[in-house]
Amino acid sequence: MTVSSALLEVEDITKRFGGIVALDGLNLTLKPGELRCILGPNGCGKTTLFNVLTGAFKPTSGRVRFRGEVISGKGPVAISRRGISRKFQVPGIFPDLTAQQNIALPMAAASRKPTVRTLVRRAPDPARLAELLDFAGLSDKADMLASDLAHGEKQRLEVAMLLAVDADLLLLDEPTAGMSKGETASIAALIRKLTSDFGKTVLVIEHDMQFVRALDCPITVMARGAVIAGGTYDEVRSNPQVIECYLGRAA
Amino acid sequence: MLLRLPILLSLAFGLLLLLAPLALDDWRLSQLAQLLTYGIFALSLSFIWGQVGILCFGQAIFFGTGAYVMALVTLGKLPWLGESQILGLLLATLAAGGVAFILGLFLFGGRGITGAHLAVVTLCAAVVIEIATGRWGFVGGYNGLRGVPPLTTPWPRDDIYLSGLETYFLIFAVLAAVYFLLLWLTRTPFGTLLAAIRSNEERTRFLGFDVTMAKLFAFFLSGMVAGLAGGLFAAQFGFVSPQLIGFALSTEVLIWVAVGGRGVLLAAVAGALLVRWGEDQLSDQIGQYWLLATGLLFIVIVVIAPRGLFGRILDLSPHRKS
Repeated sequence: MTVSSALLEVEDITKRFGGIVALDGLNLTLKPGELRCILGPNGCGKTTLFNVLTGAFKPTSGRVRFRGEVISGKGPVAISRRGISRKFQVPGIFPDLTAQQNIALPMAAASRKPTVRTLVRRAPDPARLAELLDFAGLSDKADMLASDLAHGEKQRLEVAMLLAVDADLLLLDEPTAGMSKGETASIAALIRKLTSDFGKTVLVIEHDMQFVRALDCPITVMARGAVIAGGTYDEVRSNPQVIECYLGRAA
Repeated sequence: MLLRLPILLSLAFGLLLLLAPLALDDWRLSQLAQLLTYGIFALSLSFIWGQVGILCFGQAIFFGTGAYVMALVTLGKLPWLGESQILGLLLATLAAGGVAFILGLFLFGGRGITGAHLAVVTLCAAVVIEIATGRWGFVGGYNGLRGVPPLTTPWPRDDIYLSGLETYFLIFAVLAAVYFLLLWLTRTPFGTLLAAIRSNEERTRFLGFDVTMAKLFAFFLSGMVAGLAGGLFAAQFGFVSPQLIGFALSTEVLIWVAVGGRGVLLAAVAGALLVRWGEDQLSDQIGQYWLLATGLLFIVIVVIAPRGLFGRILDLSPHRKS
């Protein structure tokens, strides 16, 4: 068996829902520490891909490998324990907890198999907690209830929570949904930090071109369940297939 | 410092209870001691409902189990166990915890039930157990068990029965111990996990926590606290009957906790004291209308002050508003 250098390998994944083909023989490879954006119009299968990667759906055919191990067909808990974490479109924070508690919780979960006893005895590492709060820019709001934070702060809090889980591969599903322009820029900087400062591998789903440009990373373009193009922002933007997909067929 | 006000008020509340014997005669003091026992009972529900978000409509099952076990042991109905009160209280606590654990297995096991479904199932369980207890001759049937011995000192002395003042301080000490134990627990990462389950159970599960186990443990603990309260109550009241284990008391404790403020442990205690005290004061004058008044109070508070009468002013948690 050859040891592959890729962290994630998606091999010929197909997912059908009855007669609808959501993913059609999709291939994708991510190297460790890579930041990649998946771009595509609504309904092209981006979210289905994430559902397959996290184990929410089983693929109809094809394989997903993570660190060389086949993970397709495993359940969400088994996959998350292997180090894949996902951020949903809707902020997945706990509104009744403080910002600090929101980060402490996934830190405790990261300690693998937390039990009542370990949870009662072991307080979260304060240095790491402070570091993550600082990363989210919430150091002075640590004791505020998450429900009282601004929308952008909630999104940043959730990115910090992803980091706290200590997963290696982070899947971000439209992290800028519902954000203002200024917030979008700051979240792009934060996501770039995930790879540059923390060495995470990050896969982002997005359809907001402004944001994709701000991310400044390799782009994979999907349409109708398959990859149709790839490259930098400028390359993708001038690709005729992509233009057709976004603007409709030129008459 | 507005933030410190709840701490001051909590201390003042404790101090008031500590100094109450100075102002009360023996009879009133024994009444207050009983109210404190209800306060411990209220803590058990406040923990499982306010902290974990499990609305249990059958909390009296555990209180009643504790009361009956205490009565059976100290009346010598279980001869092979002896008649020790300490053993009685210990078994009352453990038996109620055991009942909670078994009930919890059915409630949370498998896919589990939550919210209104759980409330209805626990309500039905309370009704069934109340009827079953009333038909079980060994535990006295509908008449219950009379003559449960009052609290005594564990060491020999001239009058082994605790005086009114001693009983009061004993119950006060137990209340304080249970309160601080639960308060401490809510401050640990485990407490954060429980709060997260209350906030969003599904998401907590996705983080990789064994939510079922955490809920089961919390339910078990809540059952133990209720059982301890029931055991103390049996000795104080001297009489146990199926009403202690059933639906009516379960609803009452729910009202105390909602009126006081379910999210804050001490507020639930204050709610129990206030509603029970009001009942004692007013039921003589307005009779059956008291029930109506409690019901109305409950509705008004749920609608206009979901945090209860004391939930805000006794809130010790560190979070702040912007």
